[in-house]
This record gives sequence, structure tokens and C-alpha cells, in this order.
Amino acid sequence: MKNREVLLEVKNLKVEFGKGKSKFTAIDDVSFEIYKGETFGLVGESGSGKTTIGRAIMRLNEVTDGQILFHGKPINGKISKDWEREIIQKIQMIFQDPMASLNERAKVDYIISEGLINTKKYKNEKEREEKVRKALLAVGLLPEFASRFPHEFSGGQRQRIGIARSLVMEPEFIIADEPISALDVSIRAQVLNLLSSLQESNNLTYLFIAHDLSIVRFITDRTAVIYKGNIVELAETEKLFNNPLHPYTRALLSAVPEPNPFKERAKVVEIYDPSQHDYDRNPPSFVEVEEGHFVLANEEETARYREKISLGVS
Amino acid sequence: MGIYTKEISNISDKSSEQLFQFAVSDDHQAEETAYSNYSYWQSTWKSFLKNRVAVFLLALVLIIVFFTLLQPYLPGQKSPTEIYLDEQTGSQARNIAPGSEFWFGTNSIGQDLWSRIWAGTRTSLLIGFVVALVEVVVGIAIGAMWGFSRKLEAPITQVYYIVENIPTTIVLILMSYILRPSISTIIIAMCITGWVEMARFIRNQIVILRDREYNLASKCLGTPSYRIILKNLLPYLISIIMLRMSLAIPFAIGSEVFLTYIGLGLPVSEPSLGNLINEGRVLMMSPDLRYQLFFPSIVLSVITIAFYIIGNAFADAADPKNHV
Amino acid sequence: MGELQTKERVLSIQNLIIKFKLRGQVLTAIRDISLDLYKGECLAIVGESGSGKSVLVKSIMGLLDKNGYIDQGQILYQNMDLAQFTTEKDWLKIRGKEIAMVTQDPMTSLNPLKTIGKQIEECVVLHQGLKGKSAYEETLKLLRDVGIHDVEKRYKQYPHEFSGGMRQRIVIAIAIACNPKILICDEPTTALDVTIQAQILQLLTNLQKKYGLTTIFITHDLGVVAKVADCIAVMYAGDIIEVGKTEEVFFDGKHPYTWALISSLPQLGTKGDQLYSIKGTPPNLFKEVKGDAFAPRNQFALEIDFVERPPFFKVSETHYARTWLLDPRAPKVELPKALQAFFEEGRRLANEK
Repeated sequence: MKNREVLLEVKNLKVEFGKGKSKFTAIDDVSFEIYKGETFGLVGESGSGKTTIGRAIMRLNEVTDGQILFHGKPINGKISKDWEREIIQKIQMIFQDPMASLNERAKVDYIISEGLINTKKYKNEKEREEKVRKALLAVGLLPEFASRFPHEFSGGQRQRIGIARSLVMEPEFIIADEPISALDVSIRAQVLNLLSSLQESNNLTYLFIAHDLSIVRFITDRTAVIYKGNIVELAETEKLFNNPLHPYTRALLSAVPEPNPFKERAKVVEIYDPSQHDYDRNPPSFVEVEEGHFVLANEEETARYREKISLGVS
Repeated sequence: MGIYTKEISNISDKSSEQLFQFAVSDDHQAEETAYSNYSYWQSTWKSFLKNRVAVFLLALVLIIVFFTLLQPYLPGQKSPTEIYLDEQTGSQARNIAPGSEFWFGTNSIGQDLWSRIWAGTRTSLLIGFVVALVEVVVGIAIGAMWGFSRKLEAPITQVYYIVENIPTTIVLILMSYILRPSISTIIIAMCITGWVEMARFIRNQIVILRDREYNLASKCLGTPSYRIILKNLLPYLISIIMLRMSLAIPFAIGSEVFLTYIGLGLPVSEPSLGNLINEGRVLMMSPDLRYQLFFPSIVLSVITIAFYIIGNAFADAADPKNHV
Repeated sequence: MGELQTKERVLSIQNLIIKFKLRGQVLTAIRDISLDLYKGECLAIVGESGSGKSVLVKSIMGLLDKNGYIDQGQILYQNMDLAQFTTEKDWLKIRGKEIAMVTQDPMTSLNPLKTIGKQIEECVVLHQGLKGKSAYEETLKLLRDVGIHDVEKRYKQYPHEFSGGMRQRIVIAIAIACNPKILICDEPTTALDVTIQAQILQLLTNLQKKYGLTTIFITHDLGVVAKVADCIAVMYAGDIIEVGKTEEVFFDGKHPYTWALISSLPQLGTKGDQLYSIKGTPPNLFKEVKGDAFAPRNQFALEIDFVERPPFFKVSETHYARTWLLDPRAPKVELPKALQAFFEEGRRLANEK
């Protein structure tokens, strides 16, 4: 575990919006690492800052403080043109709403090859068309769709066009920002399966941003729970779901509706009350309570969590 | 008994044993099911055709434009600038009422009003089209930069405040004094201020579209700004640009009439709708000569109203919400 | 069985067909639907976007878009056929008073320029006939009922001073203030965070018991259905394909679409394996649907599914499914492993209960 290659590292990231009085801290001192080949989940509710983190990595949001390292080299702030071109190709993003994320007035052919045109990653027209064809087939669409406009497709097909557009760049790292929450229930599984099979065949690493914990549990290897700009808990997914420590994680887990009438009705929903922490007197830090399991807690809470783990294990 | 049981007895006789076999699945067909044959421009055109008045006016405008171009080459047409003499008296054929010789009559110095109206319409339409085109091109270019580039936003806003706060009329008056009155002068004068509104309009639209997800996606793919503007933003604005353009044409024609009317427009020797109306105005009070104001005014009104109605009908038709 | 017969039928939809005129074409949004609603029960209508679930409830409220019309069928409510209503005046007798609705986005149902107290009080005055002090007291009571604290202070606040979840509570209070017989909830928690969603769902279940409401709940989320519903109607492409009690549809579903919906839940998947997925995309309603609309995507499709629309087959007194697989001539079907295990677990839990 310790000797796995770190692909992306976020160090003490801070993102603020606005100036002066209206200043708002969206992300406050967030750090995490993403290993090569894994799927890292980032879970939180609206306004938690999960999308801001994704966009900061994509260089769409400016970073106020801290560092983002890709292959150990910084990608935020001023960077060289060559390195920028490289990360544009290596880091790709899949957007939430397939209805909003495709250019309605361009043909699928242009939408998919947009990145190729920018990076000039082909020798001639024929090669470009071949790449588009392959990308369409890879996401389960028909090659003749290239000459159509996005409005002719359903949500699931459009999302797959969005995936093809990222895929054609041959990326290493993909940020998937709620990639299936805007889709119909009957096609979510298609897209999830597609993401997993592409991960295997193309050796991809994912940052999977979501609010739906059932999907996160299914697809991610490690998960971070984010609350109001802070990561409150980070662990291997199964560990986090089986043994949630932070009260917010517990509340979030208990709130997810279980698609089973008997279980759902027997369930007790926990409610998170931030005032339960005594953080004014005893400020928290991000501590590792067991191997690979980090929690935002102060000393007193840490002791309690550690005790809980030792009881659970024995 | 529930309401459903009745149906069960209704199984048709068509269902034979062979039908109860698993069907062969077809992935291709499963993908195709959602296909819809909606096309933006086709629907726009179809909705436009539903507006009978606008279609009629569009035809009328096209006929007028075509006719102004064709008119000088038709047989039996008189020159718009030549002063005709009365064959009997040898003096100028002044203020002759409409008749078989002079279809729309003559003016106070004996020029043929029929050919002058078409020549004037030609001039006015030329001014209208050129000014609208320049406004659109300059307005879009500046508006796009203004709306899209965060660096250029502040300086262009300052320029906008300056230009916007000088009344257009004053600029036009000054221009007309500095340059010699001619068609190109009046076009330049109108273009100097005309682009401002268009630029601001385009800017507002681009600010609305700029941060939509599909533009963020293009940015993530490293698409340069100019291509985002050309491929992602302007295509969304085409219908409203067309609307603005169709409204800019009558506005420019109207401005020319106004300028000529206050004496700053085209020289008297150059027939234009402005000149014709100005000449007619003098004679407005004498009932016999009122035709000299009527004919050019009618043409001006028809063109102006037609463009407004066509423009609005087109904008309605181009709005996808109305494609029902 | 006997239990069902004693229940009072509140609303009955019979052979309803709703069509829309769109771009010169006619689209059939609801294809011959029949549905009964019984007093005090919560019926969940489950379906994806475009399945017609929203159109169906809009037709009950007389809120169809102007290009949509009821082609055929009846909506029977208290000796009235709502399908025959044409004027706004007719509908005003029903809307709010008899049938109230809570929509997905609370902001669209609230007037931003009026205090929330006044907005609720208006309904109390109009529909409960209370005045002055008693109307005010009733308003405060309603606010408390929907779980808002500090009601005197909250009464004077405007919608923008509330969070999304709180606004949804206020919309619910307004709906209840009208004293309706039927409450329609159209995806009321889709726009909310999960923790808030859990609270709102709990609130709705409590209110339903307290006020004896009959509820129609529209959603695509099977988790939400599991929480609130007594009965489920599954819709696909404008048709109800399965209807039954919640446990029946969840643990003894008969239609392949119901199976597919449940199997594709990530909770049923095994990590690292592919999740069960439904191929293709929902059909385009512009095209005429022949036979079973789900057939092209159905791995268990029979030849007849492409020819003839299946009738409702009776599974139990309360459970019906529209699939040819229930026909005695149909071949046996082997369900996916994960689904079998899910059904097994359901039966076990039912026995424990």
C-alpha cells in the first residue's frame, strides 16, 4: 500500500471565491493523494466543495493556496507551455449533465475530435476520422453517429459521447464529476460499467465525484468524505462504509435510502450536529487512526475513535 | 374484482405457439430507438412559414429589392436625375400630377418621381445593408472579445462608456460637417456609433453562455479562445444576430431620412428616400402636390414595417421553445 | 384480499390516453392506462424521464401543457370525470382544495415577495374558512407540523431566507393547509441533499398518517419508493407495466423492466464485476410503439413482444404485470443471480416480520 505510485497529490489546497467582505472559502486546507490505477471517490453534499476540487485540478478554478502535483510536478499556478500541453492531454474531465456539456451546434465528429485538433495528435484527416470511429465504438456507439448532432441522442448516449471525447485524448487521469447522477436509472449501470471497463483496458485513474453513496461504494477503491470544504474522513471504501467514524459520515450513510422496503423502514437516520464538536477549545487535525484511515478529529475524539477500532477488530 | 381482469380474456387469436419464443436481440436497434429527426433550421423555417404576414412581407421586400436593381434596365424608364422639359412651353415640367407620361408625377424642378423613388430606395437600401453589415461584423468582433476575455473586459467597458455617452446625433452632425456629404460619409458616420449597441448586446449574450458546461469542456480540452467563440458561442447566437441585423437595416434607413431631413444627409443631387421625403415635406400643405410626399413615405413605411415584422417573426421562429 | 375490498377508492383512472401535438406530429405520452387509488395509501409511480409519470399527474391536476390533450379515457373522482373538465373554473374546484401538489423545485411554488406565513395563511383562510387570530394560530400549527422551529419569527420571513429543505417544508405546509384529500408529490426530494431528503421523506410519512392523506409519489429512486410507498406502479414509455404492493413489486416482480431496474442497482452489484445493465435507451415516443415498448431492450423478449401489447396478467389480488412471460405458453426464465438473491432476502425478511 505504502509503495504504490502516487499519480496526483493535493497538498493543503485552499480555494477562495470573491474578495473582501464577500470572500468565501470553498476549500480549506485539503490534502489527499490519488494512486495510479485506483478510483478515488470524493463524496459530499451540495456546497461541500467537491466540484471545486475537481475544477481546481482541471485549472478551471484558481487556487488561493497550496499545491496540486501530477506525477510529482506542480500543475497549478504558472507552469511551462509544454507541461500545460501535456496535462491537457493527460487529465480529462467527464461532466455531470450530458444535456449541458455538449456543444449543440457542432457535429459529434467535431465534439469528439476537438481535443485532437488542439493537440494535433494525428497525421491526416483519415487518421483523425479513424480515431473518432474507434472512440465511438469504445463507448458502445455506432460509428455513423459521427455525422449527427447531439440533440438527436438520449442522455445516456450523450454522456457516452462525452466519455469518447475524453478517451480520444488517451488520458491517464479522468475526473468524473457526478457522471451518472443526471442520467435515467435504466442507463446508469451502462455508464458505470463502461467507466470500469475503460479503466481496465486503458489503465486509467479516476477521481469520482458524487453525492450518491451507493454508487461510490460500488465503484471506488478509496473514498474521502467532504463537508463544508474540509475532508472529514478518508479510508478504503469498504472500511469507510463498514466502520464510519466521523459523525458526519455516519449521518450521510444512514440517510441514503436503501432500495429494500424492509430494511429501509427499520433503519434509524442519524442527524449530524456540528456543534457536538468542541473545536473552539480543542481544534481538530487530520489524523490517521488506523492504517490508511484518516479522520478529522481533535485529541479527545481521536482517542475515542481508536478505542472503537480496537474493539471492532478484536 | 379489479379493473384489470377483463383484459386478460382479450388475448387475441393472433398469438400462436411460435410467438412464445425468445426473440433474437439486436444491439444496433436498441441504440437507435432514441433517434429523433429534429433539425434546428428546418423547424425554424417551418415555424416562420406559419406566420403568413411575415412570409408575405418577406416576399414583398424581396420583390422590392429585386425591382430596384432591375428598374433602370426596364424599357421606357426615365432618368432619375434628368430635368424634363415641357414639350410645348420648353420650360421645366414642374409638379405634373401622376399620369401616363410621368407615372408618379414630377417634382418641383421637373424630375420624374417614379424613377427617383426607385433610385432613392436603391440608395437607402444600400446604406441600410452596408451599415447593418458593418455593425454586425464590428459589433460581433468587439462584443465577443468584450464578453469572453477577462483581460479586455475593463478597457472595452471604458471605451463603451465614452462612445455611449456621446449622443449619436452629435457625432453624425460633426461627421457631416467634417466630411463632404456623400453616401460613404453617411455610412461611415452611422457605423462609428452603430456598432456600440450591437457589441454590448453580443457581450451580454456571451457572458450568459460563457460559463456553460460545454464551454468548460472545451477549455479542459485546451481549445483556444477564438475557436470557442467561433464554434461554441456564435452558432448559438445566429438567430438573434439575424434579428438584430434585420432591425438594423430599417434603423439605418430611418437615420438617413432623419439626417437628410435636418439637412445634414446626402446632397440634393443624390436621390434617396430621405431627400425625396424632405422635398415632399415642403409641399405637404398644398393638397394637389401632396403626392410628392405620399409616394416616398409609403415605400419607406413598407420597407421599415416589413423588416421589423420579418425580424420579429424570425426571432420567434428561431427560439427552440416555439418549435411546438 | 378482503382488506382491499373494504378500502375506499378515491381516484380511478380508466383507459386514459394522452397525446401531445409537437412540431406537426402527434406523440402519445400516455398509452391506455388504468389505475386505482385507495384512501389512505401511498402510491408510488416509478419511471424514468419520458415515461409519462409527470404527464399522468399533471392530467389529474389539469396542468397539461397547452399542446397536450386527453384523447380518451376517464379520471373519476367523487362522481366527477376530471377528463371532461375544460375550463379553469372547473379545475379550481379541484386544484389545491381536493388535490394538492408538491413539486421538485420549491422556489417555483413560492412567491418571493410575500412572507411565508402570509402565504400559508392565505390557504388557511381560503380553504379552511378561518379568519384573523384563529387563521394565524392554525398557520403556526402547520409550521410546527412540518418541523419548523421558532415559528413566530419564521412566520415573518421571506422564502429566500430559508434553505432548500426548509422551503420544501413550507411548500408542504401550504399543500396541507388547503386540506386536500390527495397529495401529489412530484419528485419532491430530487433537488435536495441526501441528509435533507431523509428528513423530508420522514416528514411526509408522518404527515400522511397524521392527516390521513392519500398520496401519489412520483420518483425514479427505488430507495425513496422503499421508504414511502404502500403500492407501486412501474411506468415505461407511457404505460403502466407492473402494479402491486411494495413488497410484491420489489421481491416478486414479474416484468423484465422491473427486474432490470432492481438488478442494475449498485447495491446488488459485486465490486469489481460488471453491474447488470439495460442496453439501449428509452424509446422515442414519436414512433408508434408496437407490442411491448421495452422489448427491444429486453434480454428476455419473446417474439410476441414485438407483435402484440401484453395484457395485464394477474399475479395476486393486488399484483398485476403486463408481460407475456406470465402467459402459460411462455418459456421459463432464469433470473440473474443477484436478483434471485435479492428476492430470496426479501422473502426471508418478510417471514421474520
